[in-house]
Amino acid sequence: MEFLQLAINGIALGAAYALVALGFVLILNATGAVNFAQGDLVAAGGFLAVALAGFLPVPGLLLLPLVVILMAGLGLAVSAAAYWPLRDRPPVAVFISTIALGIVIQNGLNGLFGAEPRAAPPLFSGGHLEFFGLVIARQSLAIMGVAALLIGGVQLLLKHTQLGRRLRATAQDREVAAALGVPVGAMVALTFALAAALAGVAGLLLANQFFITPTHGTDFIVKAYIAVVIGGWGRVGGALAGAMLVALFETVVAAWTDYAVATGLLYAALLTILVFRPQGLFGEAEGRRA
Amino acid sequence: MKLRIFITAFAAFLSLMLLQGDALAEVPNFPVLVPLTGFLSLEGTSQRNGAVMALDEDKSVAYGVFDTATSPEVAVNAMERALRDRIHTGVIIGPILGTQMLAMLPLAEEYQVPLVTISGTAKLTEMGNPWIFRFFPGDAVTKVAHARYAVEELGRRRPAILYQTTAYGQSGRGHLETTFRSLGAVPVYQEGLDVSVRDVTAALAKAMAAKPDVLVLHLHSGPTALLVRQARAQGIDLPIVAGSAMHQPTTAALLEPSELRDVCAETGSSPISGGSPEMERFTADYREKFGSDPDAFALAQYDATRMLLVARHTGPTGGAPLRDWLASHEFRGLAMTYKSDGKGNMAHDAVIVCYDGSTRTPHIAMRYKGVDLAR
Repeated sequence: MEFLQLAINGIALGAAYALVALGFVLILNATGAVNFAQGDLVAAGGFLAVALAGFLPVPGLLLLPLVVILMAGLGLAVSAAAYWPLRDRPPVAVFISTIALGIVIQNGLNGLFGAEPRAAPPLFSGGHLEFFGLVIARQSLAIMGVAALLIGGVQLLLKHTQLGRRLRATAQDREVAAALGVPVGAMVALTFALAAALAGVAGLLLANQFFITPTHGTDFIVKAYIAVVIGGWGRVGGALAGAMLVALFETVVAAWTDYAVATGLLYAALLTILVFRPQGLFGEAEGRRA
Repeated sequence: MKLRIFITAFAAFLSLMLLQGDALAEVPNFPVLVPLTGFLSLEGTSQRNGAVMALDEDKSVAYGVFDTATSPEVAVNAMERALRDRIHTGVIIGPILGTQMLAMLPLAEEYQVPLVTISGTAKLTEMGNPWIFRFFPGDAVTKVAHARYAVEELGRRRPAILYQTTAYGQSGRGHLETTFRSLGAVPVYQEGLDVSVRDVTAALAKAMAAKPDVLVLHLHSGPTALLVRQARAQGIDLPIVAGSAMHQPTTAALLEPSELRDVCAETGSSPISGGSPEMERFTADYREKFGSDPDAFALAQYDATRMLLVARHTGPTGGAPLRDWLASHEFRGLAMTYKSDGKGNMAHDAVIVCYDGSTRTPHIAMRYKGVDLAR
């Protein structure tokens, strides 16, 4: 029973991490560069939800569309500031510019909201449900549901729509896509918007259950990075599986050992994968590693 | 005619500048070096607010606020910048972050400038440096009060300790364990949590398996709130005696009042709990000035700065005279009476605050006076 309880908590946490990792992979594939500001965008999404809740005291579900729209706008701004001027430079330039932008976002949040932890409103309502001795927070169920819907939606968008095909064409080979008439610049900007929107949703979900501070973004990006390396650099499915694995280490493995040992084991697993299967558990999307 | 006007105006300007320079030369400078960004920015902001409030009330000294962020190098650079004008700088109000203060201590000795801080790191006052003055009770005070309250007042004998893996957390854990053992209450479970851990149900499950009768926390603000919330969600209704982070109004704001039932915390003071007209006036003025509730860090820094200002008005404004004055005088602040123990530890009292489950404002449940002086 205890294992089940921990596993459910781990899956809920992993679902939120998966949204962060998904946004990370989308930008990685579209630009070939690592967006190190993705974690800070999660923090920005969390604080945006906190700020909106101050004006509109409604459940988080009603704030969600606003967060998505505003964060998509922020994603476009990130693309214009950190990617567009450097698009013809080596990927490491974007890597550095997103680190810088992340610091700007972090300090901006600190200046605007202060350093104290904040809590966003729950998606539906707070409280817990009990099933056969298991205590499950309503917010955990909401996180799992929303994450599943969004991840499914992104997959549908990418695989079954003309826009998705253009996004994938841009991700696979920008030069060929441009030669075929795909507006590559717009597709990259759209990818940043989509990734930021996903980060915003993750921020709203995490900021209720686990609170949010301006410096939390660093934790999220490290976890997303590990998830992507474990799952396979550039693999969407791999990133989701990697995110789940990271969360299960934090809950289930930590229960068998302790948090310090669980963290050590996670990094040991990461190193083992890098040594024996550097392409990650699900294989690496070809030519993606920056 | 035009030349005469120009010469007169220039002479007047020059006289004004010289006069102003003379006036400025007499105004001591109290630089405020605090972490305003990074993981300790919440506490650093409280520290800044407390110092600024006292300095703005007095208006007799100049000051500048410098952000020390999180690394010792930034703090040392900020101190170098603040000390560039050595004639006016009589004292440095130093950061709450212990690793930064440790790096700044040699500079204080070199420049012969007292360092006034609210950092709790025990080592600061154990290095024989006569220039350090700490106005917040260290672990040797607060953790003793923490453990004594759990054992002597709540009658608990099987504490489970959950602490942060940071230097702050490990230092506190050491003092807690020693005190619990000396009181005959051997901890049944101990685990360190990294600040990035989000889900603490695993730690709670293991702690509960050891059958504790009280949960003892020594965590930062966010992790404290997380643990209290997740413990209550898991149906754990044991009393929780937390570290000073729990007394911060911003921590309590993250929790529902019902989740706070049977939760207590150690701290140096609790301004929002009131207790005297002066304390209530301080809290009201602080709210008006900064738009937030004051915590013990803000009040400790306010008291420390007021003691410096009392010194400034009675004579010493810096250097060795101020050091000797601080080392030999007693000051009755709002939180407590401060007096050096010979090592620069000025604060020796702690309080335990508890929440009753109906409000986020705690009441003072117990006062411990002269904890480290009594031993």
